[in-house]
Amino acid sequence: MRFIRIVWAIVVKDVAAEFHTREMISAMLVFSVLALLIFSFALDLRGAVAQAAAPGVLWATVAFAGTLGLSRSLTREQQTGCIDGLLLAPVDRSAIFLGKALGNLAFMAVVEAVLLPLSSALFDVPLLRPGVLLVTALGTVGYAAVGTLLATIAVNTRAREVMLPILLLPLAIPSLIAAVQATGGLVEGGTLAEVGGWMRLLVVYDLVIVAVSVLTFGYLVEE
Amino acid sequence: MSNLVYLLAAYAVFWALTFVLVVSIWARQRRLERELASLAALLEESRK
Amino acid sequence: MNKDRELLGLLLIILSTVAVLAALGMVFLYAPRETTMGDVQRIFYFHVASAWVGFFAFFVTFLSGIGYLAWAERRWDILALSSVEVGLAFITMTVITGSLWARPVWGTYWTWEPRLTISAVQLLIYVAYGMLRSALENPEKKARLSAVYGIVAFVTVPLSWFAIRWWRTIHPDILTGGGGMAFTPRMGYTLLVSLAAFTLLYVTILRQRIRLERSADALAHLRAYLETNYIGGSHV
Repeated sequence: MRFIRIVWAIVVKDVAAEFHTREMISAMLVFSVLALLIFSFALDLRGAVAQAAAPGVLWATVAFAGTLGLSRSLTREQQTGCIDGLLLAPVDRSAIFLGKALGNLAFMAVVEAVLLPLSSALFDVPLLRPGVLLVTALGTVGYAAVGTLLATIAVNTRAREVMLPILLLPLAIPSLIAAVQATGGLVEGGTLAEVGGWMRLLVVYDLVIVAVSVLTFGYLVEE
Repeated sequence: MSNLVYLLAAYAVFWALTFVLVVSIWARQRRLERELASLAALLEESRK
Repeated sequence: MNKDRELLGLLLIILSTVAVLAALGMVFLYAPRETTMGDVQRIFYFHVASAWVGFFAFFVTFLSGIGYLAWAERRWDILALSSVEVGLAFITMTVITGSLWARPVWGTYWTWEPRLTISAVQLLIYVAYGMLRSALENPEKKARLSAVYGIVAFVTVPLSWFAIRWWRTIHPDILTGGGGMAFTPRMGYTLLVSLAAFTLLYVTILRQRIRLERSADALAHLRAYLETNYIGGSHV
């Protein structure tokens, strides 16, 4: 399947390029840890308050770190001119989108791999359960998808990186609310069935966002 | 009842915002039409 | 053709003025005094009507975005940006009047009540859309990119609505106890007239905004024409 090979090639290219310098990932990681600290100090997160606030703090941090990574990866794309090369070839535009989005998803996943255990320890909440991991995955997929689409838009503007959070955050609200509520429910001892409504919302959000992004991405990169 | 202050304020907001929107469009339209007229006149002049 | 358009414009202005005045009359003279909240409840009619326009206008922008991507004609872009400007004004009305209503009824200027919250989200989306347009220079790119943003943003609004509503059902505000409203048929009629009036108002103002944008385009074209054909002659 040529399509899948192209998607995979793009993912590999992006991940390899990042692995070379690890500049962006380290920035995202350091930022995330700092964000956790700032939240802890600012909201005075100790004991029961910390446990209650943990899902929200986690997702807020993921959201902000995500915008860092998304901007960075698209800016780099523009600088190297890689995408222009890809566009010259008769490649399905959605393959390019999926490749980029999966790459961004991978970067966010790396950050979350550090963030989850760290938050678990810091706030004394059991985040490393399969339910929570599923929620994290679903939430991140939607965020990476819409983020990639919007980063492609933002990178064309005069304001560049600054534009992305403004465009992205209002659109990420359904996903963020659902992820925080589902995580909170699970962490308090609930079952997956109990947070089923939120899970369904996450899935619907992901499907809708991916569908719209795949349909419209081509229009963003046409010349 | 002091509550009526809020009622009044709310309707004042409605009028104010509608007014601002309408006047802003109208003012911009007038400015544009003036510029269009002067440019059209300039065109007439150059054609002679 | 132009005369017909002007006539229609005038007709709409008259109709919407009459409709708004009629609605206003009904709100203050026909609609009954609400039992729990008193007269302050009368904010409801224009608050809901402005919310209707605020959200409908963005739906129009969503459709125009699709139109632009499909046919790449300037008129779709004009419709999109015009609807955003008008919609932004109305959703601002919704949020402010909602806040002013919340204060006497719930004792606080802001409550995370689902309808108020989603209106605030829509407002932020309008602002983001506007900022995006301002940050783009090339007119073709501006039209194309904002069309895509309008489409994606719009599809998230119903999802945000559900998310916020469920969130508030699970965690209701302890403060929002006294928010019930006894709805009577007279209130229903008043609301309907208000909705109709605001829709007329929206269409009227929208047409004026579209006309403004067309004039701006005409000016730009005239300028370009003069510059290419009369360089070295007059300074425009």
